[in-house]
Amino acid sequence: MIKVLLFGAAADRAGTREIELPVDEGVTLAEIWPLLARRHPDLTPMRDTLAFAVNGEYARGDASVSPGDEVAVLPPVSGG
Amino acid sequence: MFAIVEEVLDVGALIQDAQRPDCGAIATFVGTTRIDESEGETVEYLEYEAYRPMADRKLEEIGAEIEGRWEVRHVSIVHRLGKVDPGEASVAIVVAAPRRGPALEASRYAIERIKEVVPIWKREIWSDGYVWVGSQVGTRNVASGKP
Repeated sequence: MIKVLLFGAAADRAGTREIELPVDEGVTLAEIWPLLARRHPDLTPMRDTLAFAVNGEYARGDASVSPGDEVAVLPPVSGG
Repeated sequence: MFAIVEEVLDVGALIQDAQRPDCGAIATFVGTTRIDESEGETVEYLEYEAYRPMADRKLEEIGAEIEGRWEVRHVSIVHRLGKVDPGEASVAIVVAAPRRGPALEASRYAIERIKEVVPIWKREIWSDGYVWVGSQVGTRNVASGKP
């Protein structure tokens, strides 16, 4: 299992701030998106605006994700 | 000092902490919550959330970037979370340097980087709903695209 955290508008759209997803060892971040979008289709329109983090650091689609990791779904930041 | 806090920012104390005999300049940037109006509706307050501890770490990274690029002796960045009322400070940046140029440039750099990389989000709470700034997702008709 991995823990997926959602923030801001993404949490709003998904209707939850935290999801557990079963994943196999060696899966990539890009492969997680379809699992997420299937479970929460309202996230789909946001896809191109989202960034992702693995274990608290920005990560690209080819980053590998292992069971026990924390993936964060990050809408465009708006601090300040 | 790099911090994310839920209470009102004490900008005066941050400036006092930055005063040093080897510095001739303290540059301060304070971001405050601006209240917009549209079609008779107004923003009542802003609400901030963060992905912690990533956001805390990103603030520290910005501090390290500044120290690598400019001759500065002190950098503080404090960002607020939760409900922030109109006109209150949501972020304060204080940079002390021997000379004014680096202090001013570094404080500008800090706020621009915060807006690029620090996982903090705000939503505007309007009299008729809310909107996530940057995503334009929310419960206001304007944001959701409903008629």
